[in-house]
Amino acid sequence: MQSTNRHSSKLLKLIILSLMGTISLVLFFLNFPLPFLPPYLKIDFSDVPAMMAALIFSPMAGVIVIGIKNVLYWLVSGAGDPIGVLANFVAGLMFVVPVSILYHKFKGVKSIITGLITGTVIMALGMSVLNYFFILPAYGWFMGWEMTEQVKWTSVLVGILPFNFIKGIVVSLLFVPLFMKMRSWIEQKQAKVAA
Amino acid sequence: MNNSLIIGQYVPGNSIVHRLDPRTKITIIFFFVFIVFFANTLISYGILTIFALTSMITSRVPIRFILKGLTPVWFLIVFTFILHLFVTKEGTLIFHLSIFKFYSGGVIQGLAISVRFFLLILVTSLLTLTTTPIEITDAIEDMLHPLNKIKFPVHELALMMSISLRFIPTLMQETDKISKAQASRGVDFRTGPIKDRAKAVVPLLVPLFVSAFKRAEELAMAMEARGYHGGEGRTKLRELKIGKHDILIYILFAFVIAILFYTRSY
Repeated sequence: MQSTNRHSSKLLKLIILSLMGTISLVLFFLNFPLPFLPPYLKIDFSDVPAMMAALIFSPMAGVIVIGIKNVLYWLVSGAGDPIGVLANFVAGLMFVVPVSILYHKFKGVKSIITGLITGTVIMALGMSVLNYFFILPAYGWFMGWEMTEQVKWTSVLVGILPFNFIKGIVVSLLFVPLFMKMRSWIEQKQAKVAA
Repeated sequence: MNNSLIIGQYVPGNSIVHRLDPRTKITIIFFFVFIVFFANTLISYGILTIFALTSMITSRVPIRFILKGLTPVWFLIVFTFILHLFVTKEGTLIFHLSIFKFYSGGVIQGLAISVRFFLLILVTSLLTLTTTPIEITDAIEDMLHPLNKIKFPVHELALMMSISLRFIPTLMQETDKISKAQASRGVDFRTGPIKDRAKAVVPLLVPLFVSAFKRAEELAMAMEARGYHGGEGRTKLRELKIGKHDILIYILFAFVIAILFYTRSY
């Protein structure tokens, strides 16, 4: 009996992560642009299901959910622009992983808030660095534009950096009350998964 | 909510391109995307364009679907072209309008980049237009099969992708239903400052997560009850098979590559 149980909880985990990935994709489509930033920088709540999975299972589970979302998006949106998909994956990873690591270490609302702040800072700074060194040059190479230092600096300082900060803050504003509401449910699911 | 997402952009059909093995399509498109960057002469671009356009015509996908796939990027293509027109100062001066000087090098480079971009989008969207996402998942599972040897969970990954794809319409409907139910109770999703809108999503997400977990438990139990036991020794409903069309298209594509590398300038 014992082995069947373990097997079944592994399958259950697979299915839960798949469904979380789907919810993440659905939320990804309900995005809205910010009035003062370029239209390709859009805010969405697709990182929330990944964070849920990361809190209940492990940081790796969150990464898998983000991965599923991006692959699904890439498939249903017509397989264009692999760079944007990859960038979104890395951004989600930098945001979700710090939150779940801190939560698993210290538990409680405080660790979530600290985690969200850390995640926001890591995502904003990390995406700025990545954009400057990899993503913007990659787009430039793809389209044959010349990416001058000045172009890169302005797009990072005016676009990428504030955008990721705002995105992190908005998602945090949603996630803290959500966590407080669902805390006992999350803990109950954790216990069930661990059993 | 948009139900067309169930099947992505797939346009049902029975053309040769539709009937090709999805593995063939993925392989060829992968190499196509790679070799487009090697084209640098008129003939090398020409042979790639002919290949792409022939595939497009034989797929018998209505042109408006292909144009729809291009809408998000045609602006970029035009912008890139204009940028090259103004910025690149190579070749001979061909046109002079007060302060603007257009050089032949700018026109040629702008055109080349636009064609390259157009080809990339055309060919990749042809994959999703003629192949269902589930076929693509099957093909990827099969192509990643060798990774099983290094303990990479290929089957589990493919299973997760199939389940996710299957539940897109279900969960979209559910999201729609819950948001309507909450809106009828007075939750305002659309207006107000961003801070309030973020908080308004909480009553949408709580039932969504709870019901997703319930659904997952039911599905896991149903699968186990029907004897699901992981990837080993599992048979398939849809078997992938390489046919003579696939071999033909590989040979044709090999010719395209050969001509491309013969005609490009070094």
